[in-house]
Amino acid sequence: MATIEIEGKVFEVDGDGFLSQPEIWNDEVARLIAKQDGIEELNEKHWAIIKIIRNNWEEKGMAPMIRVICQETGVRLREIYELFPLGPARGACRVAGLPKPDGCV
Amino acid sequence: MGVLTEEKKKLGLEVLSSHEDSKLITHLNSCVHCGLCAKSCIYYQVDPNEHYVPAKKVDIVSSIYRRYNTFLGRKAPWLTNAKNLDDTTAEEMVDLLFGSCTMCGRCTPHCSIGVDINYVVRKGREMLSRMGYVPETLQATVNAAMETGNNMGITTEEFVDTITWLEDDLKFEVNDDNANIPLNVKGRDVMYTLNPREPKFFPLSISAMAKVFFAAKESWSLSTKMYDVTNYAFFSGNMEEADAIAQRMDDEMNNMDANRCVLAECGHGSRAYKWEGPNYIQKKLPYEVLTSVELLAQYIRDGKVKVDPEHLTEVVTLHDPCNLVREGGTVDDQRYVINKIAKNFVEMTPHGIDNLCCGGGGGQLAMSEYNERRMKIAGLKAEQIKKTGATIVVTPCHNCVDQLMQTNAEYKLNVKIMTLAELVADALILE
Repeated sequence: MATIEIEGKVFEVDGDGFLSQPEIWNDEVARLIAKQDGIEELNEKHWAIIKIIRNNWEEKGMAPMIRVICQETGVRLREIYELFPLGPARGACRVAGLPKPDGCV
Repeated sequence: MGVLTEEKKKLGLEVLSSHEDSKLITHLNSCVHCGLCAKSCIYYQVDPNEHYVPAKKVDIVSSIYRRYNTFLGRKAPWLTNAKNLDDTTAEEMVDLLFGSCTMCGRCTPHCSIGVDINYVVRKGREMLSRMGYVPETLQATVNAAMETGNNMGITTEEFVDTITWLEDDLKFEVNDDNANIPLNVKGRDVMYTLNPREPKFFPLSISAMAKVFFAAKESWSLSTKMYDVTNYAFFSGNMEEADAIAQRMDDEMNNMDANRCVLAECGHGSRAYKWEGPNYIQKKLPYEVLTSVELLAQYIRDGKVKVDPEHLTEVVTLHDPCNLVREGGTVDDQRYVINKIAKNFVEMTPHGIDNLCCGGGGGQLAMSEYNERRMKIAGLKAEQIKKTGATIVVTPCHNCVDQLMQTNAEYKLNVKIMTLAELVADALILE
């Protein structure tokens, strides 16, 4: 099992750095993972996206479609890629504490 | 990973004892250990350890072949360096054939005697698949495709909602209420396909292609039943699943009654359907199969779409997807398109059929366990990109896009990664 250490906190992760135990996730964990991706501070738009992804995963067991993220948060599509430079999967889903989605991501 | 039972071992060995595959037998008996393949391999270039020499990948399969299929190997295995197929060997195979190979095929043209190393690796993966040794992370992606019809488990409702949303956007963008993204319309000229990561997370490329189709006045449609261009079983080596996925595409082409099957920008998907598909389903496809790269070039060449030759002044470079270029023969079309749009196109060194893999091929992106290795190898591509001085990297493969996005962040390249359709859509002159 791989681990990552951010600001003295150690998390168990898969090889891609996604949390091995998504249930330990909280806002503080999100902030730390985001920092690792170079996002120094999570703004309102970041949080809105993170919450939608997290809620969808808790309810349905998977990340939401990008359409749902855009329509429910009101954030423009192109802006999402700016907010999370690694994209919705490797970026936003990882910050939201989800396991890595399948497919070409 | 389980213990290798006699039954599973037998299934694995069957791959090597099929007398119908004369190509495999020839290639397993031909390597002369000259070592010239070593430097062609991106894994070896980054970490010059003999473990990564492509010939070692051939060797592990051929040593098992000798052990069970030759007189000397059966009677005196130590004389011929023949190897027992047991748990240790199987795990070594997993690390070599799944963990240290992107199936980019660069070693094959560099082989002094023409061993199709890539083919031997695929056969080795097929053995591992039969024995139950496919890394779980890779198998999960195949399972999603088998169970849900697409490799990201998108429901039909979610797919339709996404396409409708994109269609509204398209009408606005081209300022025409008749612009659309047709779903399930039979009898059209083109049935278009997608990589599921497009509707799920990266739909700009769907919008881009729809805009190009609109400009070209193309008669086209997507199918909600089968739009997934990927075939991850091509990577896992499970031939039954690879056949089933290719068969689904063929069935849907017939159901949609289209003349041309246009494959989205996806390297392995193009290879697995256009080139391997007829082998998988054992029939000649009665319709044209072409990649969207070829179609985009055709549109511009035939004047069906017009692009602004002054559109891009930034330095643009191109990353050639291995499966599309070296393994698929589509080399010039993407260059033709880029040259029509970008004033400042700079090639990487090397490029074309001698290109370096981005490091994400062969199912590597799905296999988390090899992430560290994958990102180390990405350093080669990062260096190539830096040397071009480009600020835009075009690549006609969604898998490469994802690997390059990660590379961009990891190596702080500060470039924009685009698909070819996105490049064309942005440069379109709508009449």
